[in-house]
Amino acid sequence: MFRQLFQTAAVICVIAVPTYAADLSAPQEDVILTVSGPLEVTNVENTAQFDMDMLQSLDNTTFETRTIWTEGKHLFEGVSLAKLVEYLGIEGESLRATAINDYAVEIPLEDAVEEGPIIAYKMDGEIMSLRDKGPLWIVYPFDTNSSYSTEMTYARSIWQLDRIEVLD
Amino acid sequence: MASRIFDSRIRLITLAGLGCLILISIAVLSRNVTRDLNLLNSASSDNVQWTLSQSEVEFLDFKLQLITALSEPTPDLKTLRREFDIFYSRIATLRQSSIYEDLRLEPQFSAYLAKVQRFLEESASIIDQPDSNLIADLPVLLDRTVDIRPSVRQLSISGLTYFAVDSDARRNAIAVTLTQLAVGVTLLTLTLLILAIYLGRLNAQNIKRRAEAVDAGKRMNIITDTALDAVLVSDAEGRILVFNSAAEQIFGYNADYAIGKELGELIVPDHHLQAHNVGMQRLRDGGARHVVGKGRIKLEAKRATGELFPVEFAIQSAQTEDGEIFIAFLRDISHQMQAERDLVEARDRALAGEKAKTDFLATMSHEIRTPLNGLLGNLTLLQDTKLTPRQNRYVKNMETSGKLLMSHISDVLDITKYDAGKLVLRPVPMSLSDLLRDIVDNQSGAALANNTTLTWGWSGPSVDWILSDRERLQHILMNIIGNAVKFTVDGQVSIEAEVQETEAGEPLLQIIVSDTGIGMDPALQVQIFDDFMTGDSSYDRNVGGTGLGLGIAQRFAKALGGTITVESEKDVGSSFAISLPITPIASPATETPSKSREHNDKSVDILLVEDNEINRSVAREMLQAVGHKVTEAHNGQIAVDLAKTHRFDLILMDISMPVMDGRHATREIRAEGACANSPIIALTANAMPEEQEAFLQDGMNEVLTKPLNRSAMIDMISALAQSEEHSTPVQQETATLVSKAYLDDLRDTLGEAAVEKLLLRYVSEMETAISYLKDRKQHSAEEISQLAHRIAGSSAALGAVEMRTTLVEIEKAAQTDDHATLEKNIAKLQNIWDATQQQLGLE
Repeated sequence: MFRQLFQTAAVICVIAVPTYAADLSAPQEDVILTVSGPLEVTNVENTAQFDMDMLQSLDNTTFETRTIWTEGKHLFEGVSLAKLVEYLGIEGESLRATAINDYAVEIPLEDAVEEGPIIAYKMDGEIMSLRDKGPLWIVYPFDTNSSYSTEMTYARSIWQLDRIEVLD
Repeated sequence: MASRIFDSRIRLITLAGLGCLILISIAVLSRNVTRDLNLLNSASSDNVQWTLSQSEVEFLDFKLQLITALSEPTPDLKTLRREFDIFYSRIATLRQSSIYEDLRLEPQFSAYLAKVQRFLEESASIIDQPDSNLIADLPVLLDRTVDIRPSVRQLSISGLTYFAVDSDARRNAIAVTLTQLAVGVTLLTLTLLILAIYLGRLNAQNIKRRAEAVDAGKRMNIITDTALDAVLVSDAEGRILVFNSAAEQIFGYNADYAIGKELGELIVPDHHLQAHNVGMQRLRDGGARHVVGKGRIKLEAKRATGELFPVEFAIQSAQTEDGEIFIAFLRDISHQMQAERDLVEARDRALAGEKAKTDFLATMSHEIRTPLNGLLGNLTLLQDTKLTPRQNRYVKNMETSGKLLMSHISDVLDITKYDAGKLVLRPVPMSLSDLLRDIVDNQSGAALANNTTLTWGWSGPSVDWILSDRERLQHILMNIIGNAVKFTVDGQVSIEAEVQETEAGEPLLQIIVSDTGIGMDPALQVQIFDDFMTGDSSYDRNVGGTGLGLGIAQRFAKALGGTITVESEKDVGSSFAISLPITPIASPATETPSKSREHNDKSVDILLVEDNEINRSVAREMLQAVGHKVTEAHNGQIAVDLAKTHRFDLILMDISMPVMDGRHATREIRAEGACANSPIIALTANAMPEEQEAFLQDGMNEVLTKPLNRSAMIDMISALAQSEEHSTPVQQETATLVSKAYLDDLRDTLGEAAVEKLLLRYVSEMETAISYLKDRKQHSAEEISQLAHRIAGSSAALGAVEMRTTLVEIEKAAQTDDHATLEKNIAKLQNIWDATQQQLGLE
């Protein structure tokens, strides 16, 4: 464990530190999202951990859409998956997203595009509680892009998200 | 045929329409299938069954956590709360999600959902308490959780059942759609099959028709190749498309070579080429068609050898898919043309032969007349010398024979003229009674010799004076009456004249000559009007004749507009009926004065041009006998030379002469010299009217026909010499009193002597009448009227037009008792009469 940590630290020192190491501070409050796997940017033990403030401090994306799980249109606000991938320097095949109840789904990295899905942390301007599919929910812009209306996409729209693992 | 095409077209359209309909329904079905598949594929479904079972799983997770928490001294409340929240969230999803909208309408599901929701809300109030309170309430929460467990299970099961049914329904729907699709596809396939079969049949038909068309084309080729005429077909550009074997033979080109070539260059002669090209261009421009469809046309064409030959052709045009084409049928008519030329040549030769015959007859008559003229002239001169009675008798006999010969020649000439259509009638006023009387007198001697009585008379009212060709009429009557007398011995010949009316109301003279002579059998009757027909040849020896008499009589009768018919019975007699239309005129006189007018002409200086010495001497003798001065010339050239310097009062010009003929000489004399205005009289034996016309055109004034008749010649000379002298204006002014032309005509026809007699009688009649009118008070108006009428008729007959006009006025005035007009006209009558007498050459 230590060895691994050392190695990672060494890698960060050599490669990542000059660029990113300073960018991602350690989370101050409850961690709501942990990104693991091969990352260029990490903060805690080879993972990138985020509390709500850290997520909200990233460039946010907002869109309005209907979902099959809610009634009517809602305004979703969050970090776009593409932004997160870029931010963390993720290079891989796909992401394994896992919910608090351990529901897990694989999201191919191709989905992480502009106008694509976001990791929403607010619905209609409100932080989402666990009872309301919070705190994090991967939402696709179903209304603006009809090609997202597939069972596959519905499956990837994981709520109560708390972990992402980058898969090679 | 057309209806068949129409039917097949309708069938095709129907099938195609059916196919289209099925295609459309298949498209609709396919869309349904796609939609259903899409529903299956994407749809709004999510994995509902999983979500429903998950709700139970998450409930059990919560329950497990709750039991765990109760058994532990320091329970993991955070995890418990999280599990509760997860379950809460799941149920919230069931409540809110549109996927479960339909499911929520299920009363059972809805009831359980409401129950679970109530549980959640009550439990939430416990869960949300502070930790200590929560720990205290954990047993209560567990009790409730255990209580709600069946409901959660029922919720999940009812949802799953609903979706199972829903899924079944959806599968069924897809199955139905797919079945429909299968049916549609089957139908379409069937339709396409039928269409394919039908198209196959159509194709077979088309192949058959094409084969038929090819056959027809072959037949057509055989026909055109066996045609005797060249058949050429060209397109609008003039390129040859068809060139049959006859065309190959006629033009000398191979069809393989000719087809595709330009028509004009191949067969149109170079001098027609420009016109041909212009015509083709006009055709292409849609201009007027001069040749196409205009029937047969004759032109020249060119062979491969360059030889030109005549063709007859007809061109028609036809519209084809490749544009207009022209079909020409050409016939080489060089043989035909040659035949036509030969025919024309033959006809010309025949006509020339006919003309030669006429010329021969005319020439012969001339050649015979000339010596006969000499003979008769010398006989006339001989009679003027002192002869013994015996010599005198011989001379008379010779003269009779000569005159008979002359009449035969005249007969031949008459026939020639009539057959050539050159017989000219000369109608004159004449008395029928006089004519008949003269003929009867003439023939009575012969009749007496045959012991035959010859009688004549009118049946019905007589019509004496008519306008007709006296000479020809006399010829007809002499012939028929002469024949009747000739062929009747110890019998009777009766002549009966009658004027009838034709259907048109015109007067028709009928003279019937009946005899009790030898008669004719029917076979002879139909031949008697033929030329050279002499009847019984043995009898003919007794009566003589050329056999031309009746032929000529019939010709003359026809020329006069009439007919001669015959009825006869052998040994019983014959009856000839002559029918002629006549023009009756007023009688010019009632009695004939006997005194003859003397010629008191002064001596005339005459140039006599005649090559025949006998004729010349006869004429000279005749002229010198009446005191004329005669200069002779042997031919035209001598005459021209003489006439140039010496002015002759008159020239007698023979026509046929050596060195220079009379016509040429006349033109020369008329052209210049001393005699340019002297009267010239043609002497000719050529009596053809058109020739006489030609003489007058040459500048001759009159024509005398040889043999020369002394009195005719003397009269003509005297008339011409006088008209020369009297060409004064005075005569012109008073010319209207007497119609000189009419009087001259009368003189020509009746003879100077006869006219002279008529004039003298007219004078005495007139003198009597004038003195009668002078003491008219003693006569009634009717008597005056009758007298004026009679004398007006006489005046008209002699051309005294002014006298006639005045007398008609008197007649009218007497009838209407118009005394003033009567007086006036009678008063001027004497003056007019004096002037008229002067103009008539009387006094």
